[in-house]
Amino acid sequence: MNAAAHSQDRIKHAFLWPAFLIVLLISLFPLIYALSVSFQTMRLVPPTPPRFVGVSNYADVLVSARFWGSVWTTAIIVFASVALQYVIGFALALALHHNVPGAALYRVTFLLPMFLAPVCVALIARMIFHPVVGPVNDLFTFLGAPNIPFLTQPKLALAVLVTIEVWQWTPFVVLLMLAGLQGLPAEVFEAARVDNIPAWRRFRDITFPMLLPLSVAVVFIRLIEGFKIIDTVFVLTGGGPGTSTETVTLYAYNEGFKKFNIGMTSALSFVFLVVIILFGTVYLAAAQRLTRKYA
Amino acid sequence: MENRSYRALGLFFSLFWLFLCLFPLWWVFVTAFKPPLAVSQGATYLPFIDFQPTLQAFRDAFSGQRGDFLNPILSSVYVSITATVLSVFLGSMAAYALVRFEFRVRLLSGVIFGIVAIGGFILLNSVYGMRVPYALVLVLVVGLPVAILANRMPLPGPVMTNQDVTFWFVSQRMFPPIVSAFAIFLLYSESNKVGLRLLDSFPGLVLAYTAFGLPFAIWLMRDFFQTVPIEVEEAAQVDDIGRMRIFFQIVLPMAKPGLVATAMIVLAFIWNEFLFALLLTSSKWQTLPILLAGQNSSRGDEWWAISVATLISIVPMIVVAAILGRMMRSGLLSGSIK
Repeated sequence: MNAAAHSQDRIKHAFLWPAFLIVLLISLFPLIYALSVSFQTMRLVPPTPPRFVGVSNYADVLVSARFWGSVWTTAIIVFASVALQYVIGFALALALHHNVPGAALYRVTFLLPMFLAPVCVALIARMIFHPVVGPVNDLFTFLGAPNIPFLTQPKLALAVLVTIEVWQWTPFVVLLMLAGLQGLPAEVFEAARVDNIPAWRRFRDITFPMLLPLSVAVVFIRLIEGFKIIDTVFVLTGGGPGTSTETVTLYAYNEGFKKFNIGMTSALSFVFLVVIILFGTVYLAAAQRLTRKYA
Repeated sequence: MENRSYRALGLFFSLFWLFLCLFPLWWVFVTAFKPPLAVSQGATYLPFIDFQPTLQAFRDAFSGQRGDFLNPILSSVYVSITATVLSVFLGSMAAYALVRFEFRVRLLSGVIFGIVAIGGFILLNSVYGMRVPYALVLVLVVGLPVAILANRMPLPGPVMTNQDVTFWFVSQRMFPPIVSAFAIFLLYSESNKVGLRLLDSFPGLVLAYTAFGLPFAIWLMRDFFQTVPIEVEEAAQVDDIGRMRIFFQIVLPMAKPGLVATAMIVLAFIWNEFLFALLLTSSKWQTLPILLAGQNSSRGDEWWAISVATLISIVPMIVVAAILGRMMRSGLLSGSIK
């Protein structure tokens, strides 16, 4: 069966179009509307007729200290947690790959956090880090340390958020790195073992470089997904104390649904989109150079 | 000697992480059975030793006297199952098409579609004052045929292939969801105004979640279909069996493990999704995550009640993770990740 005959087959459109239309209608089409809204002033409460204001919404966003604060907060949470996720996840994947005793049990358990709703995880974290009734502070009291107000101090609240992200998403890194490890050619490692190359150097000179492309992809996915964070923050701190843990998505939500400033929220989400695209491009370009250097 | 110390380190680390994974789950599980006093007077750990377990919190939750629990659970179940079935079904059809057929889309025809759609929309909406939903439908009805016609012409410029189409689908997931969630909210509220009720409704939510799940479904199913041997299909084609029948009666049954795995992953994403539900529902179709997020302010420190609600959301996902974990052990998922 050759490719030409396949492409003649008109039925292929019946297969692809339903999915294409739904994604077009729901993901892309509203964007056109939102883009046009972002150049207008528009409020839902009190309802005011939309008025074209050019780029003034964008200017408002770009000079807003609160916006840059939320960008900074998001960046801290994402970069700190993804770095930890990668290191811990890779280490766990290595342990599982080398069949530590009870590996079968760990596999299912290690996957689990990834499948829980972030809202649930944040609620559990609230319980666990509760200043009075939580077990973490119970442990600290037991060790003779003072009670720590985890959620009402900006830096601690950020640390808790990073902890939650690491707890929930390290499984993703484990899953993918383990799959990567299992796909590596066994002969290379056999040869290295015969040559008596120590384990650490086997990792540094063989495993790590060979898995570098996968690592780049895994970290990329986690970074992009991480930037979306809202639910955990929404439940854990609500962005507080003050706006010290407010992420970009939460800020956009507050602007749109507490102040009902629709034009500004649209502009905000497009600025965010541009930042993400720029970041992604730079990351992928840098990653490509890095991989080429190693390969 | 050296290897052994690495193994010990690995084992120790794994056990430590196992504890970290399980402790929070243990905590929410026992808290659901605690009487109020066992919560508010400091941390208690072991049932029957530290406190006497009770089912009171479960009874309170399901009697419905303290806020509506059942409705959000049911809407979560209906919405996530419908949207999962739709996105896996439509997604696997699209994925199959992307694996077995060849698509050629001219970049320029995409650009033409964009210009017609955006320009037409702004013209109709701002200049002629047409209502937003009508204007969008109209530009879609005009723009798509124009783009399809343009695609037939020998236009200059790059031609995109299946790879690019797949990337287009997957890239929908790279957008920060607030962009599309907010845009969908605006569109839905406009369509509510003209009488088509999409905001806080079943069809609206299912539509949004189907679009949300489709990129995953296409991406995962594409890998599964690539492993299905083409010879069987060719044999069926020689016997002059239609493509649709080949797909439904031969290919889909062969890809069943992949379908199950994909459905589980999509289901987990939709079941746990928060932002879309937050923006697109207000009262009738609120889903479980929204109910949970509200628990904090509405219940204060009633952690036993909050734990019950959390457990209801968690338990189905534990089942999902267990099923997927088994599949992963049989090497199914590791083959599909590339």
